[in-house]
Amino acid sequence: MNLLIALMVIVPILCALFLNLLHKRDRTIKVVTVLLALALPALPLLANYGLHYFGGYAPLVENPTLSANLPSMITGTALNTFHPAITYSFQSAQQLFVFILGLVALLAIFVSLFETRRPSGVYAYMMFMGVAAVTAVILTDDIFNLYVFFEIAALATVGIVLVSNIKGNYETALKYMIMGSIAAPLLLLGIALLLGVTGNVNITDIIYSLKNGLVDPQNPVLLMACGLIIFGWLYGSGLPPFHTIKSAIYSKALPSGAALIQTFSVFIFVALGIIILRIFSYLPFSQWVILGVSLLAMILGITMAILQTDLKRMIGFLAVGELGYIGIGLGLSTAYGITAGLFQAVNEAMITALLFLGFGVVLYQTGVSDTRKLGGMMVKNPLVALMVLLAGFAMAGVPPLNAFQSKLMLIQGSIKAGLPELGVIMILLSIVTFMTFMKAFHAVYLRPQPVDLEIKNEKIPKATLIAMLVLLGVCLIFGLFPQIATSYLQPLATSLAGGML
Amino acid sequence: MNLYDLIVKKIKDIQAAGDESPVTNISTSSMLTAEITLVSSILVALIMLRLVSKVLMIVAVLVVLFAALTAMPLMPKFKKEQNDSLASMMFYVVIALAIVITLFYWGNLNV
Repeated sequence: MNLLIALMVIVPILCALFLNLLHKRDRTIKVVTVLLALALPALPLLANYGLHYFGGYAPLVENPTLSANLPSMITGTALNTFHPAITYSFQSAQQLFVFILGLVALLAIFVSLFETRRPSGVYAYMMFMGVAAVTAVILTDDIFNLYVFFEIAALATVGIVLVSNIKGNYETALKYMIMGSIAAPLLLLGIALLLGVTGNVNITDIIYSLKNGLVDPQNPVLLMACGLIIFGWLYGSGLPPFHTIKSAIYSKALPSGAALIQTFSVFIFVALGIIILRIFSYLPFSQWVILGVSLLAMILGITMAILQTDLKRMIGFLAVGELGYIGIGLGLSTAYGITAGLFQAVNEAMITALLFLGFGVVLYQTGVSDTRKLGGMMVKNPLVALMVLLAGFAMAGVPPLNAFQSKLMLIQGSIKAGLPELGVIMILLSIVTFMTFMKAFHAVYLRPQPVDLEIKNEKIPKATLIAMLVLLGVCLIFGLFPQIATSYLQPLATSLAGGML
Repeated sequence: MNLYDLIVKKIKDIQAAGDESPVTNISTSSMLTAEITLVSSILVALIMLRLVSKVLMIVAVLVVLFAALTAMPLMPKFKKEQNDSLASMMFYVVIALAIVITLFYWGNLNV
């Protein structure tokens, strides 16, 4: 039992509830929020690896005192190993994911407090609640518990958009909820079918039942369950056909909110992708569906990004395209490919957050996000321009930044897996990503300032600069020393590829 | 009329009536880049069909190449389809659900 594992979810929920009580006490909210947010990246660093059983109900096999008094019809069967409690699993990969999520959340919350005139307890509530939900999705080994937190994350996302006060935010949030009202119940139906066939909601137990002949893996109901869970995965992460609404959601949130929401999408994508691989890896078809959907996300996301004139929408579509790279890694289903995909996920979460915050500075200073109306911002803030430029280089995969390492690994992984075509497409789309970014960078920073462009806020909050520097620093460290991140991801990737989970 | 003007005219023709944004040099080159990226990515992806059958791969590449060349420019149409209208988003969500379920149910039972 490791209480710190549970606290990674409980602490942000308590923070959220507490901050909501402080509504309208601006200064107190500011101080308390920063202090509480510091716990988000700190907790995963302090916790030990292991399992946490809620209620303390460990499997019988781990409790000899209790199992000694039970009949052999229980202790001599699979029931002896089944998990009666909601179980959270915390290993090295989860540690890195929760740390990066916590770091982006800390910086996004930090920026939001200084970029808004009046810090809102409600906004902080939504951000903390979303972090708690996504952390639970990453940690949980219980598929129904995952669904509950999946829904909370969706609601927190809607909440972050609703409080943004950006034109059209209510309409976009409502559309996202309507889409969710189709996809989320179907995900739940898939989980219900899985429960119906296997009699379990614990993922490890479901896999045990499938591998040990307790249920027929070729049961058509299981195939239907897999299809429905994949459909829920498309919605949760913003893959096609949900890429349009997801990019719209990013564009209707404040830059700090968008940075956090895209991190939610990345980690929900990874968490559900891992579960699909764990349960349904015996269906080779699931691997091809993951590859196909990821390929589609890459092509549609990046080709749509280049056509955008709104900065946030452009990054939103690029973020969808980058999700495709992660999916390619997972779909390759080799230890190397999965490590590369997971590494790409960690990198993308940070780079996209950095881009949202960087271009958010332009929005903060001018109130404009249309590239056709912007220009000359290099003169106003050369340091921010440099950091945004490096973030764009990182996203496109320029050395020595982090995504270069993960994209190179992905290309090598696709060649090793006998699919060099995927490598060719990834290179092609990275070039287009670079071009898309440079087009926006030129429009915002290098072009002469339009006469009618009004600078509303000359001074950039120091919090934003600090947040950008921290993210850029981590990007550079992971780029120069990729083994720091990949050593955390390899054990999970190896077990997924070997079908050991 | 040179080739560039022809492309601009075609984009203007396809652009939605409600879209007031002007067709500039930047937007035209962006559209061209997206077009070339889309077609080339799909064609390269189709080469993976070689794992199923080489004949199928050749036929698919030729058919898609012919379809793409005759239907060009594709991106303005793609952009129009991927709009923020709830109706079109719902349409594609339902289509995607149908494809995913059909592929899983039929594909796994018959492959």
